[in-house]
Amino acid sequence: MSAVIPRHRVNVLTGLKSAKLIEEPAEYADLIKKAKRPLLVVGPLLLAATPEGKVLMQYALDIAKAANIPVCATAHTRGKMVELGVEPQCVYDVVEVVNALKDPKWLGVKKEGNHDLVMFFGIRSDLGNQGLSTLKHFAPHLKTMTLCRNYFPHANYSLPNFKKDAKWLEFLDGLIANLKKGE
Amino acid sequence: MAQVKEITRKLEEIRKKIKAEIPWEPVGPTPMPEMPDLRQWDMRLLKTYAPFYAPFCDLCCFCTYGKCDLTEGRRGACGIDIATQQARFVLMACLMGCSAHAAHGGHILEFLIDKYGPDKKIDLGTSIDVEAPNIRTVVGLKPETLGDLVIALDYVFKEIAHALDSTHTGQEGSALDYESKALHVSMLDHVGMEVADIAQIVGFGYPTSVADTPIIELGWGAIDKSKPVILVSGHNPATSTVLIDYLREHNLEDQVEVCGLCCTALETTRYSSKAKIVGPLSRALFFMRTGIADVIMTDEQCIRTDTPQEAAKVGSAMIACLDKAMYGLENATDWDTDEIVRRMVDNREQFAILDPAKAAEVAVKVAMKIAPERKKGWLTEAEAVELAKKCTNCKMCEQVCPNLFNIGGGISEVAKGNFDVIRRQFLQCVGCGKCEQECPNNVPIFKIMQIAAGTETWKCRSGRGPIMDTEIRNVGAPITLGTIPGVIAIVGCSNYPDMDDIADMVEEFAKRRYIVVLSGCAAMAAGMRKDKDGLTVYEKYSPNFDAGGVVNVGSCVANAHISGAAIKIANIFAALPLRGNYEVMADYVLNRVGACGVAWGAYSQKAASIGTGFNRLGVPVVLGPHASKYRRLYLSRKEDDDWRVMDARKREIVDTVEPAPEHLAYVCETKEKAMPMMAKLCIRRNDTPQGRAIKLNHYISLYKKYIGPGLPEDIHLFVRRDADIPLVYKKEVRAHLQEIGWQPREPVGLPTLIGTYPTKVPVDAVIH
Repeated sequence: MSAVIPRHRVNVLTGLKSAKLIEEPAEYADLIKKAKRPLLVVGPLLLAATPEGKVLMQYALDIAKAANIPVCATAHTRGKMVELGVEPQCVYDVVEVVNALKDPKWLGVKKEGNHDLVMFFGIRSDLGNQGLSTLKHFAPHLKTMTLCRNYFPHANYSLPNFKKDAKWLEFLDGLIANLKKGE
Repeated sequence: MAQVKEITRKLEEIRKKIKAEIPWEPVGPTPMPEMPDLRQWDMRLLKTYAPFYAPFCDLCCFCTYGKCDLTEGRRGACGIDIATQQARFVLMACLMGCSAHAAHGGHILEFLIDKYGPDKKIDLGTSIDVEAPNIRTVVGLKPETLGDLVIALDYVFKEIAHALDSTHTGQEGSALDYESKALHVSMLDHVGMEVADIAQIVGFGYPTSVADTPIIELGWGAIDKSKPVILVSGHNPATSTVLIDYLREHNLEDQVEVCGLCCTALETTRYSSKAKIVGPLSRALFFMRTGIADVIMTDEQCIRTDTPQEAAKVGSAMIACLDKAMYGLENATDWDTDEIVRRMVDNREQFAILDPAKAAEVAVKVAMKIAPERKKGWLTEAEAVELAKKCTNCKMCEQVCPNLFNIGGGISEVAKGNFDVIRRQFLQCVGCGKCEQECPNNVPIFKIMQIAAGTETWKCRSGRGPIMDTEIRNVGAPITLGTIPGVIAIVGCSNYPDMDDIADMVEEFAKRRYIVVLSGCAAMAAGMRKDKDGLTVYEKYSPNFDAGGVVNVGSCVANAHISGAAIKIANIFAALPLRGNYEVMADYVLNRVGACGVAWGAYSQKAASIGTGFNRLGVPVVLGPHASKYRRLYLSRKEDDDWRVMDARKREIVDTVEPAPEHLAYVCETKEKAMPMMAKLCIRRNDTPQGRAIKLNHYISLYKKYIGPGLPEDIHLFVRRDADIPLVYKKEVRAHLQEIGWQPREPVGLPTLIGTYPTKVPVDAVIH
């Protein structure tokens, strides 16, 4: 997804420092495994279910479990997490957790230091992109990643626009399998 | 020495303008404040509620040095950084908003002074003595005539020019100072709005000193399309009130339907209860495309820029009535009326007519001539199914939808004869029409959606203007003590994630005995749902500004009556002087008036300035998810921020620990998250134990209802002593507090920020 930059960029710059597009679950899993203090931020789009009836939140919880990642529940997602047997490490809204993340001295949700990789999953794209823009500009101390089915340009790493849900869910299954490797 | 002379000269000039010799109250420290005069208050607010920037664009492209890339710490050619650029942008948005309302006020004043002269008295009825709390507080003037309002407005215009100047390339270099300027012009926005609405009440005889205003028909199903129909659209009622006058004078009021979109609808129904409200701005394009309107009259602000094209498509005649939006049309203001009518009827020409009387006469004559020839039929279900068959559900429409949903999914279901999906989507649709222009198969999406729109009718209470002084006297104590848990002001535009959210919020908080105040498009949206008995919130709840009341103050400019009510609590109930005394008023509101604004569908620059004006006055605002695109919020970090206040009685600084209110401008994604936050943002340091227990009862129960089992994670920050714990949750909260090692602390007797930052205002000034 890297754009061709014109020689005289001052005249035509589009202003999008775009995310690196990654399509391989193994590559995503490696990036997550390399992180020392990752954080998974989940949003209300995960309250929907697949045609087979699996709540999308379950994918988030499986990822968090496989890689031992703390979860931040935004909006009203906590209720569903609790219903699925998991208490989130923290409950913030997107702008609140982003506000904390941009402070390099923040101790993070586990009080062990600020996070070095933040994953957004299930946040509506306008709010999600704006939050990622804040982190892009004001949190150079961390990397961001999205797990949603569409491309998020303000993240450091993003999935592509999947044309079919099945392909996206396949990716997520592959990611969980890769994260479980070497547990 | 020269500087002292200049300050003295300026002060004398101000005292002259505000008629300081009239001793209704002593003149406070900041009459007619300029940009630096309240800067120290802003900096104190911004210390706790730091600006949070979410850049919507990585660049600056204002000047010919650029475009400049501001990513990764880069500065632009002028030296600006990304944070300052965002703040500059926010200031420009607030300037646009403030200018829109102030210019609206200016036009109305000019119109009314022309009609009645500058000496027409301001009289808001027997129950309102403090007629202009914003003007009195900010300007220091007690306006007695329309001419006095001009003095207030001239001051606003001057400040707008200064603030706009500061956005020029290569000037202000501090994001915080840009924020202070944004707060300044947004405070002035409330002055401009107040001028506009007082002038309208006085000049047009709108309801005042009354709560039980008429119930108005809402929805296009209420419009009798067998009659000639005139649609008024926008915000400025100069034209629509003259239109009503013309119909009355010619005994035509029952023969011609007048309906309105957006705030002009609210204004027109304050003038005539026979007028109908079509709906908020999100219904504008839908309604225009039905072709029900024989004549469309636009005025200013929230009107679509493609109105002439849309009117022409369906054969509606169209008149642009104000200079703000002339659409490239020929200016026919000085032409012979019959000639304009002839050309509009025979040639389907559209004109700008800037004389309201002439525009009204032309509109009525044209409507009566063309209406009998026009067909105004609804699409049938069978026709909709046929049209929908062209949809391949390619999802191109989803890619351009501001509300991020796939209308193609609904349209393709219509093709199968299923209308359920599209009916649900209609409530999420913000009415922009981008989906239709993107459709590769030219599916007439908006036309098909007529099936979802239906012809249902609802009710809205006519806007009542200012909150009465008598009401303030009744609720002042319970609000500041906390026994009325809060004032929830739901305001602003119709860019909702879901329109139903508004009625849900109103119901939730009215049932809980909060005072719910509404204005603008939100006031209409609140009425667009019926319960199982067929009643809207306006028919179910009291119209009084009291516990459990649902109050429609009116249009956008009536928002000044909401900020005005907060000021009146400080002035009338607490007996604090307000004249040129903004810091004291704002400090009182921040620390003691449990109010929370909600702009769930904010889209416009006006919404930015209205909200930011509330913020400077100490009222927090909850915004819907789209509002993240405003680029800036004011957020605290509750665990780390400065929650110290001065206890004015003991004269000592106390660390209260409690984030009350926690944020000043906050965005969240869902109504389920918003509602507990709204309850939390009504908590104030001044709450009595009884009041705090009531507020925490609502906070905890809303949390349990919408977020999940257990207690809010931050509940310990709001419990000062055991008496603060609501009875219903006593056992659960006590166990939690014991587990985390909570320690009780003393409530602050008289909390104030005055004395915690450099200011000319003495601590004594907050003691009443």
